[in-house]
Amino acid sequence: MAAEETRELAGAVDSTDPTVGLAAVASLRALVERLEALHVANARERGWSWQEIGVALGVSKQAVHRKHGRRRRLLG
Amino acid sequence: MFERFSDEGRAAVVAAQAEAAALHHGYIGTEHLLLGVLSTGAGARLMAEFGVEADPVREDVVRIVGRGTDDIDPAALATLGIDFDAVRERVERSFGPGALSRRGCGRGLLSRHIPFTARAKKALELTLREGIALGARELRAEHLVLGLLREGDGIAARILHTRGLSFDEVRARIAGRDAA
Repeated sequence: MAAEETRELAGAVDSTDPTVGLAAVASLRALVERLEALHVANARERGWSWQEIGVALGVSKQAVHRKHGRRRRLLG
Repeated sequence: MFERFSDEGRAAVVAAQAEAAALHHGYIGTEHLLLGVLSTGAGARLMAEFGVEADPVREDVVRIVGRGTDDIDPAALATLGIDFDAVRERVERSFGPGALSRRGCGRGLLSRHIPFTARAKKALELTLREGIALGARELRAEHLVLGLLREGDGIAARILHTRGLSFDEVRARIAGRDAA
């Protein structure tokens, strides 16, 4: 299994190496961004308000609307 | 403001957005505007007169600000104990195949709004001012170069300065065309 291999490889690298740590953070951020876009779009489709989505994400409704509002309009 | 731009001037701004997206930069800076200018016919011709070409400029941009990452590297996530394949499998079970891909998230070029940096906004304002000062009927890609040089502190200005361009010289070159 590829995932097993990559995990072994990862374990072999010094975990204090900034290259490894920062690459992991960058990938994690990209993953979070995609998950957020997906779930915000899903919530909007189900009729959630920006206010409700903001509360669930722990950010203001303005912040979530600013980030995802235009994206949806252009897609829609 | 963009209604005052010519088709080609507007194309330069649109291309700037594409450049920013391709470099995975989350903003449109003066450097992307410069690359946008270089993607237009008239802009590229003007810049060629000063020995400025798109590819070397893009290399400079990458050297100065780097290339952003918008890519998920499963190996990097594995160092945190996160199995990306497992995450993707679960997400796709709920939202269908490809749900985690960039396109599936609506992160394609046109669907993603990329904001201008303060310097880029300033350069656009100065483009307008310089165009008016030259009596130009509409703002063309060439006028953007004047805005970028007038702004003076952005990465575009730095790149142009290191290539020996000065505001006065470029302005003189453009001025004749606007008078016609």
